[in-house]
Amino acid sequence: MAPKPIASPVPDAWYPSLSVFMLAIGLFVTASFFIYEATSSRRNRSLTKELITGAVASVFLGFGSLFLLLASGVYV
Amino acid sequence: MGFRFDLLMFMIVLLSVPVLSNLILSNVDRRIDLTTQAVRITSTLKVENTGSDLVSEVLLAFPDDQAKHLAYLTATNNEGKGKAKSSSVSFPVDVVRPKGMHPSLTFYSVSLPKGLGKGASLTLDVLAVFAHALQPFPERITQPDIQLVVFNETAHYLSPYAVKVQSLTVKLPDARIESFSKIENTKIHGSEVKYGPYENLPPFSYSSIVVHFEANQPFAIAQQLIREIEISHWGNVQVTEHYNLVHGGAQSKGEFSRLDYQARPHVRGASAIRHLVAKLPPRAHSIYYRDEIGNISTSKLWGDPKKTELVIEPRYPMFGGWRTAFTIGYGLPLQDFLFHSEGKRYLNISFGSPINEVVIDTLIVKVVLPEGSADISVSAPFPVKQGQETKFSHLDVVGRPVIVLEKTNVVLEHNQHFQVYYKFSSLSMFGEPLMLISGFFFLFVACIIYMHADLSISKSSPSYLAKLQWDEVQAGVQQVRNIFDRCLTLHDKLEASLRDLSRTGDVQACKASRKAVDGLLKDISKDLKPLLLSLQSSPQAAQILPKVEELVAKERDLQEKLMVKHSTVVDSYEKKLSGREIENRVALQQQKITALRQEVDDLLDFIDEI
Repeated sequence: MAPKPIASPVPDAWYPSLSVFMLAIGLFVTASFFIYEATSSRRNRSLTKELITGAVASVFLGFGSLFLLLASGVYV
Repeated sequence: MGFRFDLLMFMIVLLSVPVLSNLILSNVDRRIDLTTQAVRITSTLKVENTGSDLVSEVLLAFPDDQAKHLAYLTATNNEGKGKAKSSSVSFPVDVVRPKGMHPSLTFYSVSLPKGLGKGASLTLDVLAVFAHALQPFPERITQPDIQLVVFNETAHYLSPYAVKVQSLTVKLPDARIESFSKIENTKIHGSEVKYGPYENLPPFSYSSIVVHFEANQPFAIAQQLIREIEISHWGNVQVTEHYNLVHGGAQSKGEFSRLDYQARPHVRGASAIRHLVAKLPPRAHSIYYRDEIGNISTSKLWGDPKKTELVIEPRYPMFGGWRTAFTIGYGLPLQDFLFHSEGKRYLNISFGSPINEVVIDTLIVKVVLPEGSADISVSAPFPVKQGQETKFSHLDVVGRPVIVLEKTNVVLEHNQHFQVYYKFSSLSMFGEPLMLISGFFFLFVACIIYMHADLSISKSSPSYLAKLQWDEVQAGVQQVRNIFDRCLTLHDKLEASLRDLSRTGDVQACKASRKAVDGLLKDISKDLKPLLLSLQSSPQAAQILPKVEELVAKERDLQEKLMVKHSTVVDSYEKKLSGREIENRVALQQQKITALRQEVDDLLDFIDEI
């Protein structure tokens, strides 16, 4: 079997744009999370909704910051 | 001269040593290249077996003082004359200590896998590279002096076998030759000194020669070079090289004049290290050159698809004995160096320094593999000392395994590729993003907990109780608000059913939707009742209660009007009245409904503001 070169799962050239888009989406969801936290009163706040918004925001922020690190040359 | 006498003794001892086997060297041709600081001796040996036994090894002898500088030794056989060198076969070479030999000689054995039969002959090309074999003489020079070096060798090939015919060529740099030993058959031809041919010499013949010549090429010696190669499966191989450089030529004495140097650099500082050229692999990126203080700006970079060339200048011209320390680093694309074969991944990268003219005393190559690599093995084309350690870098939990390879006396010939094999699951790559994600998620969870937790100290203070009640009122009002929203959507639905009726004329469908809305509205009023009661019982809600009650009343009014309108329209349709007549009949009601709707919206806005 001939050796096959290994490349990264995502092409390097995509890192900057991926990080911008994912961080934008992540920050948008984060904003909606905090708006929900601040405006809904304590009694009729839904824990599932909070957790789901938080999870979605953290997935986008997590991948966004990873791609930001990679785009800026910090290869983790 | 003490060492001459030693050699004489040495010769006497050597001559008394018995001959090992029946091999003879029918022809020895040696070429010594002294144009660089590393001495390269290429010997072409024609080995003949005159005995009757099969011989499977050929011994190469080096005096100990030379052997300790030996950096690189290979023996190859070029099969077929005049053909391409691709057919060359390399033989394994090992250190051996044959019995009965003089202790001041080091022997290397070249193993012949096929052996050499009776009467057979074989041509061996032996390349030996020595570091630090050129001695500066004089040892200390001033700035305008030229650098002279001395090289010691034997004009007769030192071998445990008898040599029939031999010759030696010493290639010197194109500069002054101070002196060279003149023995029989010595010729000088340009910058080449030729010794020989000499015929029929017994084993262990030794005839010392000394060449003293000008060598102004910089003697850049890296006392220690640490190369750190870090693999990231996200698409990068990061190489960081820490150099500890010294000029190993004649020591500088007296004062250094920057003015003289600047004015005539090739005369006043001929042997100084001005710059070094690092030949980096193609597609190298993010290249930096710095030291402890920061970036060193005197560097130049060229790139083409075949190579990247980095010319670096130290902070000061380096004279004999001067030192400097610096770091160069560069990133390389992953797909050029990392491969996948038979279930294992391997890194295939060059071992030595990209700066060709540097001789390295101690080279430490550290290969940092990604976290989660297992089954690590190294395959190097020459023996190296191996070790393993752990490094903590960005987003690591258990640390990355690091393979440490150490080698002393490294020259240009060691710039060969070596391989590090390891097993790695692609899933472990996602450990790093998962860490980031969980970090952000903990932040959100902390916010949720903070917003849900009751952090007040005194649970019985009036202000705390008032706050609790106010929260309750707020929650109640919000629920009322939600109920009214639902109500209003139902109203819209009724209107929509009327519009559908005017379009399709389907009275039954309209009645059905009316019935459904009726049921839902009833449910809503049931939901509303306990909320209103709780608001009435709460003292905090006193301010807001009238508004809520007004809202309830208006909404009920609106609802009734809407029902009446709906019934009227449906009736009219059943009686098959014309569109204009229907409009006339409901016009008044419609006005009231619009007014009421406006009031209800205003009230809702008011409540929202609380």
